[in-house]
Amino acid sequence: MELRPIAPLPAGARRKLVLQREISRLLSPLAIPLIGIALRWVLGYQIENLRDFRREYRRIFLERDGPVMICANHLTMIDSFVIAWALGSPWWYFRHFRTLPWNVPERSIFAATLYLRIAIYVLKCLPVERGGDRTEVTEVLARLAHAVSNHEVALIFPEAGRSRTGRVDPDSAASGVGRIYRSVPDCRVICVYLRGDQQHNYSDMPVRGERFRGSTSVIEPKTSHRGLRASRDVARQIAQRLAEMEQEYLDDRK
Amino acid sequence: MDQTEIFEKVVKILTPYVKNQKALEGISLDTHILDDLKVNSARLVDVVLEFEDAFDIEIDDDDVDKVETVGNAVELIEAKIG
Repeated sequence: MELRPIAPLPAGARRKLVLQREISRLLSPLAIPLIGIALRWVLGYQIENLRDFRREYRRIFLERDGPVMICANHLTMIDSFVIAWALGSPWWYFRHFRTLPWNVPERSIFAATLYLRIAIYVLKCLPVERGGDRTEVTEVLARLAHAVSNHEVALIFPEAGRSRTGRVDPDSAASGVGRIYRSVPDCRVICVYLRGDQQHNYSDMPVRGERFRGSTSVIEPKTSHRGLRASRDVARQIAQRLAEMEQEYLDDRK
Repeated sequence: MDQTEIFEKVVKILTPYVKNQKALEGISLDTHILDDLKVNSARLVDVVLEFEDAFDIEIDDDDVDKVETVGNAVELIEAKIG
């Protein structure tokens, strides 16, 4: 597959990324358990196969060191927090901080106030305005690609926004995820399908006391296409795998 | 193929993706595809892939970032056609 680097990240942007990571690492002994407590004890969430998720995530890194990105289905505004919680314990993230995923939240929601901006900065988020200035979107993609190529993990939702039908739609996969994948040699994609039992459609938040179930699958998409079509093809393959995992989830519930 | 022909073909391709149909009435090279025509940003990729098929050209990821107005699209296609 033809590798196609995204425009190189300027030195200033690389320094900002390192600074954010180190501040986040410094505050992680406080921030990560707080998020876990909020999800488990304040909101009452449970993950049915939590041990399986965490065992699989550890296995992926122990099996082979290298670039990894996580691609997941997207139904609520806090999916990235629930997914990070599902994949690793606070102890795991302290010891392997690079596996705490970078996130790309919507700026209009998650960076609306100074308090939120500080919180998401500490939680390794790079806010972006979806559908906004394309130069800015590309710079965020370049930051993510830079982080992934340095063996940090990025969590991206291939559909960009929450699934409006409540189901993964491979046709709505944005090309951004494909651009990142094509720019990082030997990258693996961990597809994560996670859904609450009472999550029938998309919403802002999962219901209180929600019980989540799901699965993971590692893929390395290949494409014979070139240019933009290659990025779109990779994004579709990832979203297609998520759609298959969704079907397995729904079949299990029958 | 001259610029007018390219422009007309570009507008034809864009039309099914346009949410603000009223903006099509006064469409020009300066019309902004996302802001004026209200094309969904995620669908811009589909639009550009249709340009590839219609004009038998190959467009790179970076080129998509340069397509903001109808004029940008026409210029890009002209450059690719050579």
